[in-house]
Amino acid sequence: MEPLMLALGWIGLYAPLALGAVGSMIGCARAGGAACGALLEVESGYGRFIGVAAMPSSQTIYGIVVTMALRRELTVDNSAGIFGLGLLAGIAMLYGAIAQGDACAVSINASKSKPEVFGISLAPAALVEGFCVFAFVFALVLSAGIPK
Amino acid sequence: MAADTSYITLIASLPYLPPFEKAERVPITRLKLEQRLNMLVHEHAVQLAKAEALVTWRMSLAKPKNDAEMVARYRVLLQAVNHPVLREFIAFRIDQQTVLAALRMRKAGQDVTTFEPIAHASRWAGFIISHWEDADFKLSFMYPWLPEARTLLEANDARGLDRLLMTTVWQQLSRISDSNSFGFEAVFAFVFKWDILQAWFARNPSQATNRFQEMIKEVRNEH
Repeated sequence: MEPLMLALGWIGLYAPLALGAVGSMIGCARAGGAACGALLEVESGYGRFIGVAAMPSSQTIYGIVVTMALRRELTVDNSAGIFGLGLLAGIAMLYGAIAQGDACAVSINASKSKPEVFGISLAPAALVEGFCVFAFVFALVLSAGIPK
Repeated sequence: MAADTSYITLIASLPYLPPFEKAERVPITRLKLEQRLNMLVHEHAVQLAKAEALVTWRMSLAKPKNDAEMVARYRVLLQAVNHPVLREFIAFRIDQQTVLAALRMRKAGQDVTTFEPIAHASRWAGFIISHWEDADFKLSFMYPWLPEARTLLEANDARGLDRLLMTTVWQQLSRISDSNSFGFEAVFAFVFKWDILQAWFARNPSQATNRFQEMIKEVRNEH
């Protein structure tokens, strides 16, 4: 039983970073694909499209911080808590990054034809970011309750 | 948004198509469109080409000898298209064309037996034949545009009828595009909308003249 618990603890410890990174890869690839397509169509403003395409990378940073906050000597007592917290935070980051990538792609597609909507079209991506921040902050708060 | 996002780059590289009646020009040339469509996977490219041969506004197929040959062509080409949404769109257009053919034949005083050879292309064949004497073949519940189309046809308003049919297809394509904004659906919806836009300009001599004069001005300014 003890090795299994410790294995789950390790999974939970690394999950926020790993899942966040996977989400960022997919999200950035989708938004980046849209940015590359838009570059073929527009004559200027290339930089802002590429900048928007990088938005889904923040989930990896949140994942790194949560992993560091969860980092401690793994025991049977704290492994279950680390597993639960880490895995759920990781899933939130994973899905958040993918959803943000899609929102960024839509924003890029809309603003390439109508540059004046560039700012407002980023609102859905910003909302997704907000939910990721909630998941991130509360993962940090709750990690303080896991035994050292 | 659907999970299939393999065409994000392709969709993002296509310009915005304004509603065809408000457009001042076709925003992308066929050559450029073809270049962008090179991003399609082979299977989708083949299916799109077959669908274009079937239901573009100006069909690229050589003119068939008779109606029966036309229906046979439809059937052969339709078998080669297996994308469900594209098939559904083709069926929608074929139904639309069949209903119009029935209206035209009836207006010309032709009998239902004349219509029967072409009827089998459509899902509503039996229904139209059964209700040949009814003003809208009792299909207006299915096609709300049908009474207006009949009125325009009877008034010999070809341009008005074109506008109505194009609007109907345009709206259908917008719905298809919205169902998967970064998938194959959005790509073929763009291509068929572009086709409508192109056909609209081709039938509008004043806009064509304006465009020609604009091009002359552009050339003069450049040289």
